[in-house]
Amino acid sequence: MAQPAIAVKDLSYSYGDILAVDDISFDVAEGEVIGFLGPNGAGKSTVVKMLTGQLTPQNGSALLLGMDIVKERKQVQQEIGISFESTNLYEQMSAVENLDLFAKLYKVSDFDAMGLLEKVGLGGREKEHVASYSKGMKQRLMMARALVSDPKMLFLDEPTDGLDPVSTETIHALIRAATQNGATVFLTTHDMVEADKLSDRVAFLNQGRIVALDTPARLKQRFGMRALKVEVELPEGGAEEREITLDEDQTPQAVFDLFKNERILTVHSEEATLEDIFFDITGRGLQG
Amino acid sequence: MIGTLVVKDIKLFVRNRFFLIVTALGLVLYPIIYFLIPDQVDESLGMAFYIEDRESALYQRLIDEPGDYVLFDTEAEMLTALQETGDYFVGLSLPADLSAAAARGEAVELNAYYAPGVPAEARQIFHDVLVLFANAVNPETLANLTRFNETEFVLGNDLMGAPLSLRDRFVPLFLVFIVMIEIFGLATLLNRDVENGTARALITGPLRLHQFFAGKALMGVILAFGQLLFLSAVMGVLGVSPLLLLTTLLLGSFLMVGIGFFVAALAKDNTSAMAWAIVFIIPMIIPSMTVLLPGLSTGWMEIIPSYYFVDSLHRILNFGAGWADVSRNLALLLIGGAVTLAMGTTAIRRKF
Repeated sequence: MAQPAIAVKDLSYSYGDILAVDDISFDVAEGEVIGFLGPNGAGKSTVVKMLTGQLTPQNGSALLLGMDIVKERKQVQQEIGISFESTNLYEQMSAVENLDLFAKLYKVSDFDAMGLLEKVGLGGREKEHVASYSKGMKQRLMMARALVSDPKMLFLDEPTDGLDPVSTETIHALIRAATQNGATVFLTTHDMVEADKLSDRVAFLNQGRIVALDTPARLKQRFGMRALKVEVELPEGGAEEREITLDEDQTPQAVFDLFKNERILTVHSEEATLEDIFFDITGRGLQG
Repeated sequence: MIGTLVVKDIKLFVRNRFFLIVTALGLVLYPIIYFLIPDQVDESLGMAFYIEDRESALYQRLIDEPGDYVLFDTEAEMLTALQETGDYFVGLSLPADLSAAAARGEAVELNAYYAPGVPAEARQIFHDVLVLFANAVNPETLANLTRFNETEFVLGNDLMGAPLSLRDRFVPLFLVFIVMIEIFGLATLLNRDVENGTARALITGPLRLHQFFAGKALMGVILAFGQLLFLSAVMGVLGVSPLLLLTTLLLGSFLMVGIGFFVAALAKDNTSAMAWAIVFIIPMIIPSMTVLLPGLSTGWMEIIPSYYFVDSLHRILNFGAGWADVSRNLALLLIGGAVTLAMGTTAIRRKF
């Protein structure tokens, strides 16, 4: 079996008396997108900070691309790209200058800042000071900065939080393009739709612990309940919604009876969302 | 990598309108003020005399031994000169019967006319001298006054025979003032990098934390030293013990960088960086005032690190001091810079 891109074992971290990350272990395969889902304060950012060398784990160990995150911190950081949760760009510099600065630090030869800016949809605004950019533009530039060194691994901490749909879609496309090029992506988010859409696997993090880790489809299969939502016309006028739970013994007969006896207006199948499943497992929502 | 950081920081410094204006103002205004300040010494306390009795021994003595006084033919002429020229701080009118009256022990009336602005203390001293003069000196024996053996004690630098012009005194002041602005500039840039998270973005890449600090320190020294060099060249003082002067300017820049780091460690944002910078800049300027007013110099001032910068500059530029004279100062400057830099760096590390 190939060596995992990320191998985490018994990782823990506390801020004083507050246990932020509690003995978590997981592996991520090369080229995989793993989504870390959890509400604010669940420990997602602390995991990212430990894996990217911003915090030193108090317990446990982790290997990134086969390198120890504590002992080989700088070598690890040379191979990764990070998009931080908060915007941290040089606002009095242009987008090109921001990218060129990091390209020089990473010693990237023949760096094409304009090409990268075109990819993130900032072509034409490249010489303006970043201070004049919208939040979405800044986030796209952060993404571009994370890609400057063409990293083998991307850490994206809430990359689309509070963004408009256009910027969100641009960033999603960039993540897909990075994985097509073989990059491993560690994505933290509390947007279950985003996680569902982009992640090969998702981990549910609650109070510092991983409470579930699997593909979105298998999680839905394991924890979720599918249903059929049918809108029927009432004899006295008006409409009423009926729900038939799928995957049960009596489901076929119930569907047959409904379609035979009622005048059907609309039919929709419904499956559990990751948020529903998270709530079922932890008893709390993702926005909490 | 450090070079890349320095270029980036200097670019950001220049793009900050406030820093740019303040720096440019300093570099333009200080030389202008410097050349407007008189470069000649006028430390005379001129006296004007009208002596009615031209046969008196006093009159003859003043004629024979010219000094910082002028004898007028009439009292009216003396008063006009006193009022209009500003060359004399006091005018003394001595009546014809002064000698005889003094010899007889009678009350003597003298008119002393003071120029505007003469301090009350100076008037009192002059009054006491006159009383002494009138009571103790017999004009007939004036030529044979008892001589005193004097022992002189010069407090501070001896300016006898080589008095300093106001312009010379201002040189160390301007150099200290211009470099003080750097404390604020550096503290703001450093604090902004840390608080905005850009420093975090840098050090989670290939850059190491000590390289980040080294870049900031180097940028601060380059900016401060560059301005000191420019100002020194414009004021034409670079030729005075060049190597020693450059070393002093470099160590002075290093001290300011250390203080800049310390201020950045205390600051939370731009406003607090400015507030803390002012808290440090004001005491740092106090030692430079002793160059203008030597009487201010007291022992406690030596606890202010900038004292060693000002004192070294003053001694090198105005008294031709050499390495041996200022080596202690330079060593303390280096230690002061290193200690503040180490303290600031340690405190800033806790913010990451």
